Amino acid sequence: METFYTDSPQVQQIIQGLNLTRTLFVSSIVIGEPHIGKKTLVTHLFPDIPVVSGKNQDEVEAILEHSDELIITNFEKLSNKENLVFDNKRIIATADYIGNQKTIDSLFAFIYMMPTYKERPEDLKHLKTRFLKEAAATLMLDASSYTLSQLPTDLTHNSKSLKRAIYHYLMSRNMSKKEIEETLFTYFLEHLEGNNGYKEYVGMYERPLIKAGLKKYGSQLKLSEILGINRNTLRKKIHEHAID
Amino acid sequence: MNTPSIDFRPFVEWDNNPFILFDPKGKILYLNNSAEILLGYVSKKELFDLALTYAPQNFGYKTTSIALRYEAFNFYSITVGYENEEQLAIRFYNAPRLRNHTPVEKEKLTLTDINLLLEANIALFKTKNSNPLQLLTDPDMPQLRIDQNRFSKLLRKVLESFRASDSIRIELKLLVGEHVIIDEQKISIAQLSTMANGRYVDHDKEIKILSEECNIRSNLQESSIKLEIPLIT
Repeated sequence: METFYTDSPQVQQIIQGLNLTRTLFVSSIVIGEPHIGKKTLVTHLFPDIPVVSGKNQDEVEAILEHSDELIITNFEKLSNKENLVFDNKRIIATADYIGNQKTIDSLFAFIYMMPTYKERPEDLKHLKTRFLKEAAATLMLDASSYTLSQLPTDLTHNSKSLKRAIYHYLMSRNMSKKEIEETLFTYFLEHLEGNNGYKEYVGMYERPLIKAGLKKYGSQLKLSEILGINRNTLRKKIHEHAID
Repeated sequence: MNTPSIDFRPFVEWDNNPFILFDPKGKILYLNNSAEILLGYVSKKELFDLALTYAPQNFGYKTTSIALRYEAFNFYSITVGYENEEQLAIRFYNAPRLRNHTPVEKEKLTLTDINLLLEANIALFKTKNSNPLQLLTDPDMPQLRIDQNRFSKLLRKVLESFRASDSIRIELKLLVGEHVIIDEQKISIAQLSTMANGRYVDHDKEIKILSEECNIRSNLQESSIKLEIPLIT
């Protein structure tokens, strides 16, 4: 059973609503952007109810034939929603978007709109902690070396982009020189082509090198000394790579 | 016709049309059962003023066709009369009620704790609205057989009508002494009132349809929605 934490008052109201109706034969739907925990929430609350994706039209119909309870995920993917009969059944659905408002309105008694993580910042902390622990365990790192405020908060695709950003953050800070070289090798192997390759890809070393140097040493003069290159050459490269 | 030995009082008492006898100051001297229920919806003063307005100029009786509505009561006519200076009588004529043609299919209805459905719908409402909401309910309300899904849809529509209202008040109570006959059985009625300072009317049509499908009588006013729910068991 997946665990689900929330400190969001709105999500707590959804949980309260779903809990109150758990003994009733009513149809409920939780609608919200992808990757905001809809499926985790309903499977956490109803661990014994079978779960079928709306992508499997036939399976949904077959289960509805003989069962009086069902969780339908990706409800928006079902194509014959209008013909479904939910009378005297306990149906809990999740959907990424409403689609036809009229159909949803006539099929479901309880229509919950789940807020995104941007709208429930109180839940971000839980999620970041979870992803940090998970990523640290997977990458065999010590999670306690990182603070939550250090971690990036990429919510463009909700939990999916957040998880990716945290993994990326941890990996990028723990790569050895050899691993960085291997990464570049793989990249070039796949992408190198055309007739201007050197100019095109040399920036991949120079840009981070100069940017990091400027951040670390503050002045171009100092950085040119550290890099062991002429100040004018450095200035030319800063201009070339459009570094602020 | 010589009828001195017949006491007509019980006939008036049990007449379904409300009957009230006032003294000249508006004090009630007598009222029948139906009028007693009517007074739960309208003030004594309003009815006395009505009687004075429509009283005949001289001793006698005057019947006036007038459409009156006091919540669940609908009248099409009244008779006001007096035979002396001490007593003024008013009788209201109930307008025929539209019969609900939705058959009750008991086997499809589930025994339900209505308070549970109400709480779940309030939780749903609170996910979208932060309006202050007060719930006055009867925890001893008996369970009733109802189509849970359809009734929940009705509750959702009712509450959504108050989405921009302040100080919403929801009251659930048993209507003492009122019954409805379903399949030749006398069934008690629970009243669910939702009131505020105003409301949207965009769901009114759906509320009426869903109510009828659930065998519920709906009374939609400018700032309130009242549902009379038969306690089918």
